[in-house]
Amino acid sequence: MDNQEPELNAEEGAMQTETATPRIPDTQGALPAQGMLANPYVPFQMPDSTQYQPPKGLVRGTLFPGLDLPFMGMVNQQEKDDTPMHELQALGFAIGELGLYLDTHPDDRGALTLFRKYSGLYDQGMAEYQKRYGPLTAGQSMNSDFYTWIQNPWPWDFEQTEAE
Amino acid sequence: MFVYEKKLQYPIHITNPNPKLASLILSQYGGPDGELGASLRYLSQRYVMPYPELKGLLTDIGVEELGHLEMVGTLVHQLTRNLSDDQLENSSFAPYFVDHTTSVYPTAAAGTPWNAAGIGVKGDPMADLTEDMAAEQKARVTYDNILRLSDDPDVNDVIKFLREREIVHFQRFGEAITKLRDRLNQKNVYFMNPSLDL
Repeated sequence: MDNQEPELNAEEGAMQTETATPRIPDTQGALPAQGMLANPYVPFQMPDSTQYQPPKGLVRGTLFPGLDLPFMGMVNQQEKDDTPMHELQALGFAIGELGLYLDTHPDDRGALTLFRKYSGLYDQGMAEYQKRYGPLTAGQSMNSDFYTWIQNPWPWDFEQTEAE
Repeated sequence: MFVYEKKLQYPIHITNPNPKLASLILSQYGGPDGELGASLRYLSQRYVMPYPELKGLLTDIGVEELGHLEMVGTLVHQLTRNLSDDQLENSSFAPYFVDHTTSVYPTAAAGTPWNAAGIGVKGDPMADLTEDMAAEQKARVTYDNILRLSDDPDVNDVIKFLREREIVHFQRFGEAITKLRDRLNQKNVYFMNPSLDL
């Protein structure tokens, strides 16, 4: 049992949205007043949910404080070091998380804007990373003397690249 | 079509080898509620899903689960590197080692090889999405149990991440059922099977 945290402080470090009227808490979602018998219902996440920044979202396993429900108070408190690979992983994670959210909320303009912003930063980060440290996809092996795609380390290796 | 990116979804660096812990975590590679079953369940259910948002969600979660499969394989690999004779002989990892050495083989912690009997692909959206919600819960409990059994901070850092993803996926599958219901006969969602009758 490491990283004990008595209760989840979901708002800490999160981006706050300013709203004039009180809204329902991030941990709750929309449900019909009455539902059909013999049907499963999960509350639908609200469109203006609070979000963590990508580096915090990565270590929490979600961008959404309302869905951050740890086991026995075991919480990853410390964000990953600010390395080029960790930055890519945080952005890639944020894009994937927003992508799943958009699958069920395809007309949420705020989420779409953020998705495009993170995607742009990710593409930029990938290009810079690969120029400096080598290819992350086979097609990016641009060295004319050697097929650098095959070079160690591979993702499962214990040995790490200088970018990590 | 899949294109491989030469990086993990989440950073993994396990300082201390621990073959006993590896043999437990292996269950999330090839066990009944593991990541291989998860990815195959969702990627196989996609084909007869009648609505675009459901095809999209099953594809996206199925692909993420493949990334988790790679992460669990990485955990097992790094926990079983540079093992001493003593670590091998006096560990519950020995029976696995005799058949697979230190490679990563899809099997449950109790020794049963991966089996498609652990996944449901029924061909009816309500049945399949309900199966998917249950599957996320079962995977979440397996990660809870790994956290109970492990005191390695490098490992638990990763397990906490994987466990939280199950909760997010459960939420999305639950929302997918609401989207499905919106498409069906509001008085009787079981009137027909939209995978077959539309």
